[in-house]
Amino acid sequence: MTVSTKIAAGLFGKRVDAFTDRNFKYLLIAPAIFILLLIGIFPLINLVVASFQDITILGEDKSFQGLLNYKRLFSDARMWESLLHTVLFMAVALPIELLLGTVMALLLLEKMWGRQIFIALLIIPTVIAPIVAGATWRLMFDNRFGPINQVLGWFKGEPVNIVWIVNSSYVWAAILATEVWQWTPFMFLILLAGFSNVDRTQVEAAQIDGASNLRIFFKIVIPAIRPVLAIALLIRALDLFRLFDIVWALTRGGPGTMTETISTFTYVKGFEQFDTSYTSAVAIVVVVLLSIAVIFALRRVEIAR
Amino acid sequence: MTGETRADAVYVPKDWWLRRRTWTYVGRYAAAIVITLLFLFPVYWIFIMAFKTPEEVFASPPIWYPAQIQFKTFAVLFRDGDVGTIGNSLITAGVSTVLAMFFGTIAAYSLARFRTGGENLAIWIISQRMIPPIVIIFPVFLVYVFFGWVDTFQGLILLYTAFNLPYVTWMMRGYIEDIPIELEQSALVDGWSRWQVLLRVVFPMARAGLFATAVFTFIFAWNDFIFALVLTRVEITTYPVQVTSFFGQQQTFWAKIGAMSILGTLPIFFAVALFQRYLVRGISLGAIKG
Amino acid sequence: MRLKVPLAGLLAAGLLFAAGSPATAQSAADRAVEAAKKYAGTTLNITWEAGLQSLDPLNFSGPMWEELTGIKINVIEIPINELFTKTLAEHRARTGAFDMLNVVPAWMPDLAAAGALEPLDDFIDKFGYRDELQDIAPVYRDNQMTFRGKIYGLPDDGDVLIMYYRKDLFGDPANQSAFKSRFGYDLAPPTTWAQFRDISQYFTEKFAPDLYGSAMMRSAGLIHYFYEERFRVEGGKFFDADTMKAQIGNDIAVSVLEGMIDEHQFMPPGVEGWGPIEVLNAWLAGDLAMMGWWPPPGRWSAGYGTDTDALSWLPKSKVAGKVGYALPPGGTPQLAAGFLLSVSADSKNKEAAYLFAQWLNSKEISLKRVQLPFALRDPFRISHFESAEYKALWPAASDYLATLKSAAESGLLDLSIRNTFAYEDALTRAITASFGGADPREALNKAAKEWDDITKRVGVEKQREAYLDWASKPNAYPKR
Repeated sequence: MTVSTKIAAGLFGKRVDAFTDRNFKYLLIAPAIFILLLIGIFPLINLVVASFQDITILGEDKSFQGLLNYKRLFSDARMWESLLHTVLFMAVALPIELLLGTVMALLLLEKMWGRQIFIALLIIPTVIAPIVAGATWRLMFDNRFGPINQVLGWFKGEPVNIVWIVNSSYVWAAILATEVWQWTPFMFLILLAGFSNVDRTQVEAAQIDGASNLRIFFKIVIPAIRPVLAIALLIRALDLFRLFDIVWALTRGGPGTMTETISTFTYVKGFEQFDTSYTSAVAIVVVVLLSIAVIFALRRVEIAR
Repeated sequence: MTGETRADAVYVPKDWWLRRRTWTYVGRYAAAIVITLLFLFPVYWIFIMAFKTPEEVFASPPIWYPAQIQFKTFAVLFRDGDVGTIGNSLITAGVSTVLAMFFGTIAAYSLARFRTGGENLAIWIISQRMIPPIVIIFPVFLVYVFFGWVDTFQGLILLYTAFNLPYVTWMMRGYIEDIPIELEQSALVDGWSRWQVLLRVVFPMARAGLFATAVFTFIFAWNDFIFALVLTRVEITTYPVQVTSFFGQQQTFWAKIGAMSILGTLPIFFAVALFQRYLVRGISLGAIKG
Repeated sequence: MRLKVPLAGLLAAGLLFAAGSPATAQSAADRAVEAAKKYAGTTLNITWEAGLQSLDPLNFSGPMWEELTGIKINVIEIPINELFTKTLAEHRARTGAFDMLNVVPAWMPDLAAAGALEPLDDFIDKFGYRDELQDIAPVYRDNQMTFRGKIYGLPDDGDVLIMYYRKDLFGDPANQSAFKSRFGYDLAPPTTWAQFRDISQYFTEKFAPDLYGSAMMRSAGLIHYFYEERFRVEGGKFFDADTMKAQIGNDIAVSVLEGMIDEHQFMPPGVEGWGPIEVLNAWLAGDLAMMGWWPPPGRWSAGYGTDTDALSWLPKSKVAGKVGYALPPGGTPQLAAGFLLSVSADSKNKEAAYLFAQWLNSKEISLKRVQLPFALRDPFRISHFESAEYKALWPAASDYLATLKSAAESGLLDLSIRNTFAYEDALTRAITASFGGADPREALNKAAKEWDDITKRVGVEKQREAYLDWASKPNAYPKR
């Protein structure tokens, strides 16, 4: 970053209207910060205030209620379960996407006829609206109208009647399939770019020394793409934490509350049951927990390049 | 990956470090085709719904392709005005993209060339992007109710603008840093004002980055569901929300969902195909220069 | 007999006069049209359940109203399980985006108490609609319309879950004798849930996979209706009226839920995930001996109107002429949702919205609407049940209407207290969790605890008052 400091010095060195010059950089960034504060800070204040009141579907009691909502929150098993679902799902989906993405990237790394076409087609799932992806897979999993049980039936030789989005043993698999389908291409694309940028001379030198492919992969390639890998994982982890659309389209958190994520839980409490004050408290707890995690992650990931 | 011999080791692969022997061309090709088909099949399945007759949609066991392609479902969507929601999406995503691009880029210029606020400010801005939407939307809804901004274009556009600003700022900072500074310096020497330099030197120079970033900004707004679900009612219902309205209790209109998905997704496909070169940089938050 | 006509006319004229309306011979529908003409050029936003329901205002009543009055109807389709939240959220946001509302009766008190609905009494008097309201079947008229003495909605749909069975299979001598020798009593439409199980088992064991004994909807958003009905038929009460402790975790509740799960073995595979559309598909394809559904399949099974475009997705009925109509076991069918036409308190066009509602709901127009082949509005007026026009639609139509009429007399109200949606939601989650593999007793106990928590937050006294008010209605619990 010393380069840009020098650049800035260079720019300032020129004689222009002194007042404009000094304020120009603030003028440029002011609108952005203003908008972010408008959507970030004011609502946050509102959130904090509401979390100490008792606004529900039945009435808007604006008097100070102390820690009422926070107390309720800490004994609300449903909320903690939804948080647990979110984190566990992340822990399962992320490695699968990473692994599949790696395999696909390696597959398409070398030149082959139509490589660009394959890549272009493979990224389609990622740019589809997640709610449409969810709807699509809901249809795919339908026992009567969907092809998945049909195809499984061909392999098994007898009709298969798995009720994917109703049975607790399968419902997470259904959500996982949808999630992996939509976001593996994302991993694939980033890893493909990462692999392509690995310094070839190093690899070739190792090959001449007789190192095995596996060894080259783990000792040279992986360390070389570590920063890229880290940012990809961070982006996906944050996306998985906010998982909403796919679950909403597939199960709405059911059966029971078995597939509720923290996002669907918050939505149901806030916008279906109008438990306004309570939801405010939940949102605050989520922001605090996530901020801690993100600060920690950002430090490790060196997003600042 | 076994059977390494000295003879192999001497061979230097033209492309990369994987030996051709381990994954033969044919095997790789077959695998690529199978994987691509697997990933495309669901897209095919939802899209083909639009062209099926109602009996074919609700056939059990399912029918894989319609006997005859027909466009009736699209006609119905146009007749009932559902297509108008695509227009709403265009307006909200389009206007918010323009706004986010403008404010984000000038902010990025400030960060890139003047190091305003140091690295901390830049990190703060990008961290705004990381808050889950549900946590943003809940208090925003309460505030919007207060101002009467629910179900208004300005409300949704402001929210999308704010949501995309960190991304634009972050991305454009990278693109602007890639531009050689000499041009700006000589323009200043020639007596151009700072604004002139920004609009007539920096913007054109960052053209490619601007377009690529705008495409992704647009896609985020276009594909958003949760903000629109909460903030739209009638006037500005966007296309993802409209798709969910076809989940009736007595009947799910799969044909309409399919047709609407086609209308809502194809523009995105084209945009992405056009800017494929910038895709990786865009989705990796600039971590890969691509 | 001949005297009756002028007498009725005089009576009606007298009533109109008394109500201060212009003493013309106009019908309520005409009056609404006349009064609405001055709003020509405006657009009314109306909420309607997404899907087939919406075809009525989209294809029939909306265009017709526009032609008559020049008022444009913009239909906002909302899935039923979002109807309540969207309506309330809209009221909280106060954008005035909706004018006329479709309101599920069970949720009406919450909406009315929140101030989201406009009281209709003044409009009803102003436009002379009181007497036509009296024609609405008592179960809807007396139970669903009012909150704290004011009218907040016009009952507009005769929803009730009746039982359909295959006359040909039940009447087959081979089935009759085989059934009797196995279970010791005559094969007939079941009057208890134990019989329902026996009959389901008999047909499934004999004919599966070509035919299954029965199928019921099991999807979230609807399942609680079936459960509420059966729980009450078996003698369950939702609350202890003294303590307001929830009773949905007691032994009756558990055995009802276990019974429902147990019956899945005699239903088509995957039934746990079935919604209305799957059940209907299987029924029309001739795959079921019994099914529970709302009234429309009674028409569709007979093939009535299924050649229309909007219904082309239905499989061709293979059961036309073979369908018998009955009340479900216990004889007290759940009214299961239904709709009121209400006016949004935030609307900028309240009068026009009301007039559209009155016109839709009037004897004349509603009779047309409940005969729309593709729509899902079901007979809800005494005059519908007795309509000669309707009875002539297909051979067994008069049986059908007679069944609907008796269902409308003995039907059980959906639970409707304060914060009803939250109670339904907790109950639904317990049931779907059990279908998904959770232990029914545990799930129901959890739901009962959730109910107690909700009650506590609403305020025990406040909820007791609402509950006692609801429980005192004639159709809250089966009469014994």
